[in-house]
Amino acid sequence: MKLTGLQVFWMIMVMDLGMTLVMTLAPAAQAAQQDIWISLLLAGLSILLITSVVTRVTLLHPEQDLIRFSQTILGKGLGRIVIVIYLVQWYTITPIVLRQFNDVLHVMINPTTPKLAIMLIMVALISYATYSGGIVTVARCSEILGPIILLMIFLVLVASINNVDIKNLLPVYADSGAAAIFKGALPPTSYLGHAVEYMMLAPFLHQPRKGAPYAYWAVGIASFAALIAMTMTIATIGPSLSTKLWYPFFEMTRKISLFGFIENLDPFTIVIWVASVFIKLAIYMFIMAYGTAEFLGIKKWRSLIWYIAPVVLGFALIPQNVSEATSNYLLNYWVPVALPVNMIGLPLLLLAVGKIKQARKA
Amino acid sequence: MRIDRKAHLIFVLIVGLVFVAGCWDRREMDEIALVMASGVDITDDGQLELSVQIALPTAIPGTLQTGGTDKKPVQVISVKGRAGLEVFALLQQQLSRQLFLGHRAVIVFGEKFAKAGIDQALDVLIRMPDSRYNSYVLTSYGTTAKELLNAPYRMEVIPAIGMKNIEAAKYSVAVKVDEFISDLSTVGKMPVTGAARLFEDAAGDKTFQIDKAAVYRGNKLAGFLSGKYLKGYKLMSGQAKGMKIAVQVEPVREKTKGIVTVEILRAKTKVLTHWEKDTPRVTVSFEATSRALANESSLDLSKANHVRRLETELTDKLRETISDMIAKTQREYRSDILGFGREFHIQHAKEWKKLKGQWDELYPEIPVAVAAEMKIERIGRIQAPGPLSKEEVQ
Repeated sequence: MKLTGLQVFWMIMVMDLGMTLVMTLAPAAQAAQQDIWISLLLAGLSILLITSVVTRVTLLHPEQDLIRFSQTILGKGLGRIVIVIYLVQWYTITPIVLRQFNDVLHVMINPTTPKLAIMLIMVALISYATYSGGIVTVARCSEILGPIILLMIFLVLVASINNVDIKNLLPVYADSGAAAIFKGALPPTSYLGHAVEYMMLAPFLHQPRKGAPYAYWAVGIASFAALIAMTMTIATIGPSLSTKLWYPFFEMTRKISLFGFIENLDPFTIVIWVASVFIKLAIYMFIMAYGTAEFLGIKKWRSLIWYIAPVVLGFALIPQNVSEATSNYLLNYWVPVALPVNMIGLPLLLLAVGKIKQARKA
Repeated sequence: MRIDRKAHLIFVLIVGLVFVAGCWDRREMDEIALVMASGVDITDDGQLELSVQIALPTAIPGTLQTGGTDKKPVQVISVKGRAGLEVFALLQQQLSRQLFLGHRAVIVFGEKFAKAGIDQALDVLIRMPDSRYNSYVLTSYGTTAKELLNAPYRMEVIPAIGMKNIEAAKYSVAVKVDEFISDLSTVGKMPVTGAARLFEDAAGDKTFQIDKAAVYRGNKLAGFLSGKYLKGYKLMSGQAKGMKIAVQVEPVREKTKGIVTVEILRAKTKVLTHWEKDTPRVTVSFEATSRALANESSLDLSKANHVRRLETELTDKLRETISDMIAKTQREYRSDILGFGREFHIQHAKEWKKLKGQWDELYPEIPVAVAAEMKIERIGRIQAPGPLSKEEVQ
């Protein structure tokens, strides 16, 4: 299993962009209101910092993935604890993403289709994708779907230009203030922070040492696209209404009306949504199966998919409703725990300890 | 190993196909009732009355049939009940097909219902997945929403499409659901909708006309703007383009009425808010360029001083129209439909924090100065008034 740099670029970009756009707009807007664009600038900057830490960590042991190099760097015991922390993140985010995927389709287009039917198709699909060729299949899929997703987002934005009312972005700063803007930056940062998964993907590169620029470009473009799209959404829907809707980005496409006959472009966003969720879940499925196998010393990582898939599906059925799956998880685990620990703290720790060890050796 | 993989593949494909084909939310064309318009009224005992205009399958225009027919093309049904969606379920009971809101062209609030407050209906507007933002919001004037939906309209097969097209042409005020809700949720801007009434056409048939604007104060209907007040509102709300304005430039003479009509080509409005001595103040400016459409006076409009005279008259008229309209919204309706509060929020963000809570009470008292300017850019194909002899032209 070998990846090209471009494949890694598309994988990280797709993973970041689609979900950030749909899931974090409302919570970010609730905090920062019309100053959401400042929040996103902030989020973009912090993501670039996280990426720089993450890529440096992978350079310490380019041939190893997170599971192995955390044990190499921190030693067996501590390394295993770190791995468990990451496994908790992956095993919880995957069912949540699956559930969010289902909730969006329920809320926006298919209110009567059973949850299980929607989720089962997706689980079957990602299991098949990862089982058939491992990360290579997923990478090739994202190489095809990534440009389509970008194109769709671009079309939606261009078609929405005449609905934009710049006055919705005024007054700048006065209504929110620094604290609110910072708070508004947290949800998008935590969703864009998937650069962390680069630590699992890097060793599969043909040239692991040259992977960093692709990761930078991926998070850079994803953050920029999210910045433009979210700012336009707020300018179109207005800060007061955006905060009350579940998925403002979708609502923006519902408002598109060009020349009196191009209307109701919501299928575009559904494509964006389904495609990016598929890539994201497939990457997680691979990382979970491969990582768990490595962690437990199982040789045939593929066979783990048969156990993980039903577990993911089962967990995804636990949340009672939309707010439990989306807001509660985001605001109680993802932002306060996963963001500072998994995305900032642990990579920094690995980098620091790894560097010191290397310095001592030399 | 190979057989094993094939078995997996076939299994995954079958599972996928089963679910892809059996979509729970599929709706066939012959199973849905296309709601073209819906209306909400309130009955005397406080119940909600929901009416829907449903396009009958035979009436949907095909290639052969595009004009009006004598067969009744729509069915209007209405039911009474307590809450919005519950009434919707009662409606469904009367129908063999499932109600489908995706093509709803207009939503009508009955006058009485709107006066009592539109809260109950609002939530339904956006919560359901198939209700879209592309429907226009109308308020009925002097009648109920039910009556309005029952009124025939001969120009179009489906009356709701007639309403939609009239709205789209912006003869009155065109407001879609999303703008309406957005105005409602913004502090410092009150919603406005088009208002429709019943009238008898020249042949004596009952039909509808949309020639007023309904002004809301919060979620309650405050009153209507019509005639010159509606004109004033359209001037100020970015719908001035193409509007025709007639002014009396000289007294009526033997052959002439002294009236010149112009059409607005471009218009620019500006709202400036001021904060002086702890009180808010507003200056409104309106600038427009226009072309002369009809000259029923003895003035030769190719002469610069006559054009200037016309411009002065027009400017005065515009200023009067706009300030009268603003005065009416301040004194009578107490509703900030031009969004002065929103402008104040943008221009004086700090002071707004104090004013925000009391803006609705403050609005009627705020001094508003109106400045207008009108320029004539073209005077049409003739220079001096055509039918007059040289001696009669000034």
